[in-house]
Amino acid sequence: MPQAPQISALYRAPLYIFPNATTSKPMDIDDILASVDRGPGASPESAALDHQLLTRFWVAERAVSEVLPWPAPLMERIMDRVRIQIETIEDLAASSDTTLPTTANTHNPNLNLRLSILQTDLARTQYIVRSLLRARLAKITKYSMHYLVLLASRNQNPLASQTQSTASQNPNQQPEDSVPDISALTDLTPLSGPESSFLHAHQTLLAGHYAGSFMGAFPRQLRRLDDNAGGTSMIQGPDLKEVVFVRCLGAEVPVVVEDDGDETGVMMRMGDVWVVRWEGIKGAWGRGEVELL
Amino acid sequence: MAFPLPRGVTASEIAFLAEMETVTIVPRQRLEGLELLGGPIEPLVPPRRASLPLWLALLLKRQRRANIIPPTWLHPEPLALILEVESQHQDYKNAFSPPPPLPGQPSILDRDTLPSARPQYTPDGNRYYAAPPFLPQNTAQTVTSSRDPPSLPFHWVEVGNMLLDAASDDLVDPDQIRRLLKDLREVRMAKMRSGVDVLDAAATGGGGVALTGVGSMELGEERGFVTGVVDGLRRIGSSKEQARREQMAEQRANGGYDGTQDDDEEEDYMEF
Repeated sequence: MPQAPQISALYRAPLYIFPNATTSKPMDIDDILASVDRGPGASPESAALDHQLLTRFWVAERAVSEVLPWPAPLMERIMDRVRIQIETIEDLAASSDTTLPTTANTHNPNLNLRLSILQTDLARTQYIVRSLLRARLAKITKYSMHYLVLLASRNQNPLASQTQSTASQNPNQQPEDSVPDISALTDLTPLSGPESSFLHAHQTLLAGHYAGSFMGAFPRQLRRLDDNAGGTSMIQGPDLKEVVFVRCLGAEVPVVVEDDGDETGVMMRMGDVWVVRWEGIKGAWGRGEVELL
Repeated sequence: MAFPLPRGVTASEIAFLAEMETVTIVPRQRLEGLELLGGPIEPLVPPRRASLPLWLALLLKRQRRANIIPPTWLHPEPLALILEVESQHQDYKNAFSPPPPLPGQPSILDRDTLPSARPQYTPDGNRYYAAPPFLPQNTAQTVTSSRDPPSLPFHWVEVGNMLLDAASDDLVDPDQIRRLLKDLREVRMAKMRSGVDVLDAAATGGGGVALTGVGSMELGEERGFVTGVVDGLRRIGSSKEQARREQMAEQRANGGYDGTQDDDEEEDYMEF
């Protein structure tokens, strides 16, 4: 019972923040900014906006072959709301318990309906979060060495990356030695903290398994997982040249590809849908001027 | 395996996205406002119209708690008009009929007006431009002015079919609508197929192929084919680029990862 008044107190205005919506009261950007000032998860409007951001990020993550930068503040707000929503549902469910069947039913005939709506909504959000995390994990495990080397190269001086050639002289060379240590890193872009520790643990286990099953039998200089002898790198990374489907949201967005001096490609106009290379619109995606479909 | 699905949202995920579209309903019973994770929903007071996400409208409809008012475009007359444009009009022989304009985008009738995209700002300070399914393109009263020609929203296949399945008694002449939707789908699918010739353009560096007006489900159907063809063409036609890529890969392996995300973005800015 205590939950119901709390909900109506939180409730302020309908969610529609689209500039032109005639079906409801339009909202100003000022209103949205003001509501955001009250802290994360505080206002219904930011819930709607965060839901849209999460949905768009999920579609984007599913559409490209590389791992996109982890939106930490957004995910924190979403997970906060999910926690609060689960508590709300539990409270509501408890109030409909068989101990007080008559009062609960007379006071609130719609309780079951409300519960099923809240649960459906929760399940939909949880599905997106789950699908998003799993898609990222799949990419991280597929290109694990690529992301480890990417992270490790960031906080080291150029000399450190040269150690590979000297390290291969090491008589006790093992595949595990080629797994860079990333425990001291603070900048983990594009991964989140748990993702990067998973990545390191996963790759260490994998390297140990390779060593035990076949790599231990190799000549010492061939035991590295990041071997690039003969100009062929053994590290597989995501293909940034793959094409993606995008919708242009800014007024005009050029496709930018460095290709033999010809750096700018076609110009996309607002509302257009294009098939273009991911590397050509990655910058525009970062600025929110295109969305992946 | 952490995730078995292929790259790009699948058909059922597209339907899931379409269920986030907003539709107009007439409730048949009262329901207080609710705080959902997708945003708040307004209190339902019959017979006042309300706008709800499609999944919730369908949930209420199946329990006979509400009637759905069909979207403006989901009537026989606008659909017949769009079908005529798609199949007869010279300008759209090889293109889809124009989609509903985004907020700030000039209507198809005044092409000379410059678009003025109006972003909102996210709590993290980034720009955010609203786009389907979060635009009122499927409400009974769309935002487009009445002089605009009717147009098919991004999720037209999914919304159309879901409403035909669950709420055909709310639609005007559902059999005729079903026929028209099927015709539209065939006309547009033929266009998509005949457009394969120009996919070569997307295989070159800064090039691309425009699919403006395409529907979400149509895009999902062709995604695997189009990306496969374009990536294949790219591999065949660009030995030059292959050499460059190998050179870059070598640099990458030798000199550490200089071409990371942040650097890329800076470069893009400089190129403008």
